[in-house]
Amino acid sequence: MDKKQLTELKLQATRCRLNVLRMVRAGGHGHIGGAFSAMEIVTALYFYKMNVDPQNPRMPDRDRFILSAGHKCLAQYAALAEKGFFPKEVLDTYGSLGSHIPGHPDMHKLPGVEANTGALGHGLSIANGMALSLRLDGKPSKVYVVMGDGELAEGSNWEAAAAAAHHKINNLVAFVDFNGLQISGRVQDVMNMTPIADHFKAFGWDTVEIDGNDMAQVVDVLDRAPLSDKPLMVVAHTVKAKGLSFGENDVAFHFWNANEEQLAQAERELSELAASYEKELKGE
Amino acid sequence: MIGNYEDPRKVFGKAVGDLAMDDDRIVLLSADSGKSSGFGDFMKAHPERYFEFGIAEQGVVGVAAGLATTGKIPVFCAIAPFVTARPYEMVRNDLGYMGQNAKIVGRNGGISYSDLGATHHSLDDFGLMRLIPGMTILCPQDPNEIRSAVKAMIEHEGPVYMRIGNPKIPNLFEEEEFVIGKGRKIREDDSVTLITTGVATKAAMEAADKLAEQGISVDLIGLPTVWPLDEEMILASAKKTGKVITAEEHYAYGGLGTMVGDLLAEKLPTPLKKLAIPNTYATSGPYDAVLSYYGLDAQGIAKSVADFVK
Repeated sequence: MDKKQLTELKLQATRCRLNVLRMVRAGGHGHIGGAFSAMEIVTALYFYKMNVDPQNPRMPDRDRFILSAGHKCLAQYAALAEKGFFPKEVLDTYGSLGSHIPGHPDMHKLPGVEANTGALGHGLSIANGMALSLRLDGKPSKVYVVMGDGELAEGSNWEAAAAAAHHKINNLVAFVDFNGLQISGRVQDVMNMTPIADHFKAFGWDTVEIDGNDMAQVVDVLDRAPLSDKPLMVVAHTVKAKGLSFGENDVAFHFWNANEEQLAQAERELSELAASYEKELKGE
Repeated sequence: MIGNYEDPRKVFGKAVGDLAMDDDRIVLLSADSGKSSGFGDFMKAHPERYFEFGIAEQGVVGVAAGLATTGKIPVFCAIAPFVTARPYEMVRNDLGYMGQNAKIVGRNGGISYSDLGATHHSLDDFGLMRLIPGMTILCPQDPNEIRSAVKAMIEHEGPVYMRIGNPKIPNLFEEEEFVIGKGRKIREDDSVTLITTGVATKAAMEAADKLAEQGISVDLIGLPTVWPLDEEMILASAKKTGKVITAEEHYAYGGLGTMVGDLLAEKLPTPLKKLAIPNTYATSGPYDAVLSYYGLDAQGIAKSVADFVK
């Protein structure tokens, strides 16, 4: 990938972060920490890798995106809006009665959402079923999953991990957004699930570790998958609330009850970042 | 009529397998439970549409949801408590909330795994499944109804839970088209309404015969669909008799009796008695002995009905 393409993706990720702020402004709060830590992964999937069509969201041959950690949905909503799955005005309904973008995603309310996640530890098994079916039908589609690191304590994930390896579901690529923080504190203090890659490797997966906030590394691993006949687990080392200058790596921003001063600061800083990418792309 | 006895699991497995042979949307899922669910022949004929996951019921329900999103019709059969209580959140969210066309079948249902103890009894499955919006609950009463219910279950668009038993049961009715939500009027009479489902229906039929000898005429309704209820049939009968009694292999709380009670309370307040397992971890022992212990055999039902109409 050339530098220009990479800058374009970084610009998209920044625009998506601004979309998240738009939703937080509408609702006054939101799970921003995980949405921002996973933003490079979500952006690379929607704007670089996945075969999806906003005009035909149920296209049978599409790739699937399952947000197992459903509370990161602001990232998905931001990307779907930016991609044109629905009008951006919908972002302004976040937190309102009957909104199409509730606090966890609902496939019946929003085009582009593939599963109703939010209860943790469900996504990987759902993805297994999708991937098995797509393989059975001879379709080229891939299934991509984004999980949280705190989520790994849910035992159901390990049923799914065993099944994916046993059935050699290699049209499946899963990311763990390893930002290291969950509501009560550091993941390693709450319930240590490390070494994450070793666990999945022992179950029979291919594993890769990357800097999940480095767009080039995310793109590279997406281009390499699958590595073999095994499912691929990408342990993406990320920073919680990445891009929120005053909130990075601070568990207080797992769920943010935004105040105006900080929200305005974040909007200003990310707008400036987007402008700098735009300038770079124009060759200025 | 008491016809030949058949193994409900084999009848079920063959019925599903026969349909799946000709319908490649149907996929069968196993949690180390496929052979015992009667899927043996299909496994050999179509291994590509038979998936084993080991003893991992939560995972299997999620997989079923994923398969269904792409147009498959997954059928997952295992021991009843392990496909209902164990993976409840997956059934609720991944099948119910996601509205997926997957079929969950609990075998060895009710208290039919009597001697294996309370871990293997499913006396709360109707209640749990009924609380899931959009869920249909089937509980066929004889082998012929299992065969026709399987067809209806596959044709029905949406999640279905079906409960079947374990020991051989006799055919009670001719095989005919199964209409989900329709009850079966087994005996038309006017002094008391008796409503049953599943294998309790046979005992209820025998009880009705005994009661007739005592001059108690039973309007007997068998419900192979537990949910949604056949409201029309139940209300018409209740209006006629003014007394309703239910009999089922389930807890008295949350089961068929509760559903009938909810209906009557709302639309036609009528005295109701519920024959069921009390709210306890049921005792173990031979199936017939356990049913008798809880008054769910023909003699027990007849006695309760007679007491109720006094």
